[in-house]
Amino acid sequence: MPEQKQSKVFSLPKKGQRNRCKTGIDTLDAILNGGIPRGNTVLVTGSCGTGKTTTSLEFLVHGALYGENCLFISVTEASEKLLANLIPYEFFDESLLKRGKLIFIDMPAIYERLGLQKSEFSFEEIDLLVNAIGDIVKELKIKRLVIDSVTSVCFQLKTEEKIRDFILKLGKKLSDLGCTSLLVSEILPSDARYSTYGVEEAIADGIILMGNYERRGDLLRTLQVVKMRGTTHSRAKYVLDLTPIGVLLVPMLKGGGD
Amino acid sequence: MGVVEKVFESLKEIPESSVIALEANSDAYFDVIRAITEKISIYKNLDVIYINSTLPANSIISVMDLLDIKRDNIYFVDCGSSVLLTQQTKNGHVLFVESPTMLENIMLKVEFLLRKLDRKKGKLVFLDSINSLAIHNSLSILSEFMHILFNNMRSKGAYTVVLSIKEQSSDDISRALTMVCDEKIDVKEEW
Repeated sequence: MPEQKQSKVFSLPKKGQRNRCKTGIDTLDAILNGGIPRGNTVLVTGSCGTGKTTTSLEFLVHGALYGENCLFISVTEASEKLLANLIPYEFFDESLLKRGKLIFIDMPAIYERLGLQKSEFSFEEIDLLVNAIGDIVKELKIKRLVIDSVTSVCFQLKTEEKIRDFILKLGKKLSDLGCTSLLVSEILPSDARYSTYGVEEAIADGIILMGNYERRGDLLRTLQVVKMRGTTHSRAKYVLDLTPIGVLLVPMLKGGGD
Repeated sequence: MGVVEKVFESLKEIPESSVIALEANSDAYFDVIRAITEKISIYKNLDVIYINSTLPANSIISVMDLLDIKRDNIYFVDCGSSVLLTQQTKNGHVLFVESPTMLENIMLKVEFLLRKLDRKKGKLVFLDSINSLAIHNSLSILSEFMHILFNNMRSKGAYTVVLSIKEQSSDDISRALTMVCDEKIDVKEEW
């Protein structure tokens, strides 16, 4: 019998082979069975004051401490202000900035360099922007990226088609470069969906939902991994605390349904 | 032998990772505190994480100072101050929890202290008391809280002692303690 030729169209990764990008937040890594699968584009979503930016920054600082090049693209807030928030962290090492392990870039500077000044971007301009981010990631050998917030970028894309185009192309480019990315997304506390435009959540490889949970007048900060491609994970809700030693998480108590 | 010595004698041989319920009359309250924070912690060279919900940390500190108990190795997770609207003065050894109903935040503060304190040194978590927490929480959520916290401490090799005041207790609380503790010690005045 002639030997069967194996299909060359695609090859499946061997069991358990997918590399993990440890967030450095112990309990979150345990929730994710070792960390975020490398190359995933993850939506970190929640309303204001839920700890999205702080958690994302910690992900980057730990990455930099592990020796990876990390990039924070700030869309709404100036980098100096964000840096001031990092300093109280006991594990933060200022030399990470000097050594180029932890890099901050303001998105308006990228817009300006590309000449993107219109209130609504065209498909060509989206390509320009995705390529520019990809070039920065490639040039600086970035392994971890945070865009805070992707909602502000999407605001300039206006239509669902353009948002889909942007997130798909960006996710593909970053994944091809082996870069694990967190896209910070802002939603209203009353929102039933995980992203402002409803498109981002469908395309992202993962969704980490952060929220404020009110129980008998107490306001608890919560975190829940809703979806994460490439790994099994807990989908339970956890309560978090933002401390000088980083984000701490404990299981949320149910109290027998009280 | 006084209550302090008797509590000390019954606790000094307990192995690491043990979870012990101490059932005592309110008269013995300060003797139990002394036995835990002074006798046992010195004997076993432990840092004590003291979860107080019966009294504000400041009041306990004042009593400890009166009794001449050294506090260098005592760290409070204070959920007794917020209820009484006592002013929360900053202190390196006191972490405040906004309300005794925020049981997850108690766990988070304990976790913070476990990570922050010298990892080589043993730890004892002292919960004072189950009864005062039961005023603010249903027994089902309280049982869940104890189950998670105590098992977490067990996995980290820490000692856990939970105080139950007899006059304030109930059969339900006693049953809940039986479920989560390895041993119950009845603190009797006539030992």
